[in-house]
Amino acid sequence: MDGLIRQFRVAYAATNGEQLAETLTPDVQAHSAKLRAIWGPGDLRSMTADLNFLFHQDQARLSIRLSKEETSGWYAIYTAYWKAIGEILAVKGLRNGAQSSWAKVYEAWKDLTLLTIRGYTNHDFENWTIPCLYVTGRYLRLYAMRADAERVLSSDNTAIDDLKDDFDPQAEENKCLEDCARHLNRIFQICASDRAPLEESRKWGVYYAVNLLFKTYFKLNSEPLSKNILRAISAGRSDIPPIDKFPKSQQVTFKYYEGVLAFLEENYVEAEKHLEMAWLMCHKDAQRNLELILTYLIPCRLLTTHTLPSAQLLKPFPHLQKLFIPLARAIKKSDLRAFDIALRDGEDEFIKRRVYLTLERGRDIVLRNLLRKVFISGGFEEAKNGAAPVRRTRIPITEFTAAMQISGGEAIDADEVECLMANMIYKNLMKGYIAHERGTVVLSKSGAFPGTKV
Amino acid sequence: MNTAYTPVTIRQGFGLAYQSQHQYPYNAPANPPQPSNTMSPSSDQQQQKFDWPQSVRNYVQRTFQASNEIPGVGREEKESRLKEIIRSEQEKGTMFTTNWDEMPLPQQLIQKERQQALMAAVDPATTQSKSPSFAANSKKRKSSDFSESEQTNGSPVPWRSTKALSLEDRVSKPANDKRLLMDGPLTGKSKFQKNVEKRQRRGDGGYQSSYRSPSPPPPSGPIVGLNESLEKPYFRLTAAPKPEDVRPERVLHHTLDLLKRKWRKENNYNYICDQFKSLRQDLTVQHIRSEFTVSVYEIHARIALEKGDLGEYNQCQTQLRALYRAGVKGNPIEFKAYRILYFIHTANRTALNDAIADLTTAEKEERPVKHALNVRSALALGNYHKFFQLYLDVPNMGAYLMDMFIKRERLAALANMCKAFKPELKLRYVTEELAFESDAEAAQFIIDYDQELLQERDDHIVFLTAKAGQTFENARAQACSRVDLKGQI
Repeated sequence: MDGLIRQFRVAYAATNGEQLAETLTPDVQAHSAKLRAIWGPGDLRSMTADLNFLFHQDQARLSIRLSKEETSGWYAIYTAYWKAIGEILAVKGLRNGAQSSWAKVYEAWKDLTLLTIRGYTNHDFENWTIPCLYVTGRYLRLYAMRADAERVLSSDNTAIDDLKDDFDPQAEENKCLEDCARHLNRIFQICASDRAPLEESRKWGVYYAVNLLFKTYFKLNSEPLSKNILRAISAGRSDIPPIDKFPKSQQVTFKYYEGVLAFLEENYVEAEKHLEMAWLMCHKDAQRNLELILTYLIPCRLLTTHTLPSAQLLKPFPHLQKLFIPLARAIKKSDLRAFDIALRDGEDEFIKRRVYLTLERGRDIVLRNLLRKVFISGGFEEAKNGAAPVRRTRIPITEFTAAMQISGGEAIDADEVECLMANMIYKNLMKGYIAHERGTVVLSKSGAFPGTKV
Repeated sequence: MNTAYTPVTIRQGFGLAYQSQHQYPYNAPANPPQPSNTMSPSSDQQQQKFDWPQSVRNYVQRTFQASNEIPGVGREEKESRLKEIIRSEQEKGTMFTTNWDEMPLPQQLIQKERQQALMAAVDPATTQSKSPSFAANSKKRKSSDFSESEQTNGSPVPWRSTKALSLEDRVSKPANDKRLLMDGPLTGKSKFQKNVEKRQRRGDGGYQSSYRSPSPPPPSGPIVGLNESLEKPYFRLTAAPKPEDVRPERVLHHTLDLLKRKWRKENNYNYICDQFKSLRQDLTVQHIRSEFTVSVYEIHARIALEKGDLGEYNQCQTQLRALYRAGVKGNPIEFKAYRILYFIHTANRTALNDAIADLTTAEKEERPVKHALNVRSALALGNYHKFFQLYLDVPNMGAYLMDMFIKRERLAALANMCKAFKPELKLRYVTEELAFESDAEAAQFIIDYDQELLQERDDHIVFLTAKAGQTFENARAQACSRVDLKGQI
């Protein structure tokens, strides 16, 4: 305790938020010795005596000025921290055989989180201390997930709400995480609703809190809640400092989620914009993040500008190569069958990443490329009187049918071919019209396939 | 396990009698009949209480008379010992034959025991040999402890047996005596609970509380229903359900049979839905998650589908998904296929993605699931030709779901056709491509949007696609924005 509070004083004297937050880290992997020292003999009485002395009597050594409110706030926080450490050490088996569970860790850490939040509402904590909110929120989410996993394993059904007519499977599975989301939302509110002038406002904590919330909501599979947060931010945009004033890491995470949200809403233009920003700002060594961004940016590009990823781009990401290169190759070669196979092979992963329904639409591009080939191979009409030669624009449906059968590897009837061609026209991938009675397609003389120079 | 329930009543009876006696020692004789009302539910016991002989009452009275008090022996100790004595007599059925007038008072017994204990303490060897439970006299008593003391308890009368028992045990831990006194499940009584009861009694001014049934403890597990009626209207719960309002699974099986018969015969959806909801509620509050539960949800889901009640259907489907995931048997193939069709209808891409993620490779090859997946991909690729062919051949009850969005997809297909086909199409072609039942139906569908789009030719009718402009495009956009999300979770 002594060492911890000394650290607290140093950080406080320097008004260094990061350093202050460091005193609340429960990272048992990295600092198990330190945590065990804090826990000491595990005696609540001697711990409170220590804290009492350090906060109340030992003022002389406190080179900092803490108001009474602040003192009692921090006092409560370190008491709760100490208790949480006890549970964490126990659950990790580092406390002389004492037993605990992640559920207990979660509860203990939740107490700490609530007290930290209260520090801002009731104990006049200043805005430079908000990294403390980050660290409590971050670990609250981790412990909630562990507690949920632990409960699922033990198939404990205590989460059932007897007042409901039916079971709530989602709530049962993610009981702690849903609870956690509420507290994280409190953190967000406490940051966003601060009315102090910008330089001392907690608004600087908004994006960190939002990113934590996004992570949680995505895990809970509730994008609508994420949309609510986005809406809240854009409503308060005039008050919240512009995003480019925030640390880059926060910008990247936020842009990534904003992009994925737009992606899931099929707003690919918007999604591409955000994802591209995230891509450009992302640290070059953050391989995992870069890969995640590309997972959505590539399908976006495919649909918006029909661009395929280059081998160069995918070079550092073997996993993405495996997923996207077969698709890209099939599109280039306008091979319907290869495309279908590539899509089926990657289906599980695509579904998991929720890009399947988007990639599936790439089939339109394969088809467009195929029809374009038919058109080009149709050659030119005989030029009249030395005028520039014109492509043959009246093409029998049967030619397209033959192409689709060869490329798709299976029989297809004329009605379905017409239907697919109608789609091409409807989606502006091809210009022209179908003369059903005559069994021909009449393509536009100029730019029959927009964007392909034909 | 009603551990906490039964003891409350019993203790109230005893405690009430003695406590009031303690407070008003001279009223004591009037009191003993009082507890009988509040006594345990056993009528047998109740009978005995009613017949408490006067000699017992006198004995009780003497116990609490101020003149008989022995300093150092607390009221609680006296009380518990008294209870033990009376219970023992009662159990042996010697209540009437015992000479109560010569019976040593509890405080006298306690005093005697203490003296013996003191002697024993001087000579530890004797104590240990005499009381095997001495060492085990810790806070945690195990079930084995009870049998031990019973064994030692060679004499049938408790106060005589005390000699053989650990005296220390009896004196310093009155709570343990109670354990000997009461039946197994009654023993788990904490000091806290006792205080709570005392407080309750005080608040009620003594014995009124005896008429009030103690509030049941918070449910420590699923309740077990006691209701035997087959039909029960649905009410939304606002408080924890009472067992007498809930039907046990045995009854629910009959309920389901009855509902199936009634549905076939009367086809009254409002009634059926209401009954199914109460049936589901009874299953939920009793935490029953069996194949029977699955069949209830499956049947309700099918009925709701048939009646187009998508809200109810969706609730059932959500439950079924969880039940199948938990490995309960049912018809997952059928309902996973419905689930896909349902999310096509609500155009919920996220849920659709999850529904596909739920499928195993084997399930994807099953006909209903394969059909639903094909419907999905046909729509995703704008392949209305394939879509309408799939519409004509739907496994199980999927057609009810496809009916929900068939109009929307017809509009989309028409919008598509109007842009691509020029200058016209035979109506016959539209009828066939869009799976209308007849040319007349197709014609009506088109006319509903624009009467100018059909034209009679010599032997057929044509649909003037080139003239349609944005008609169907606008209608499609409107239809897409109006997806009923009722009951969506």
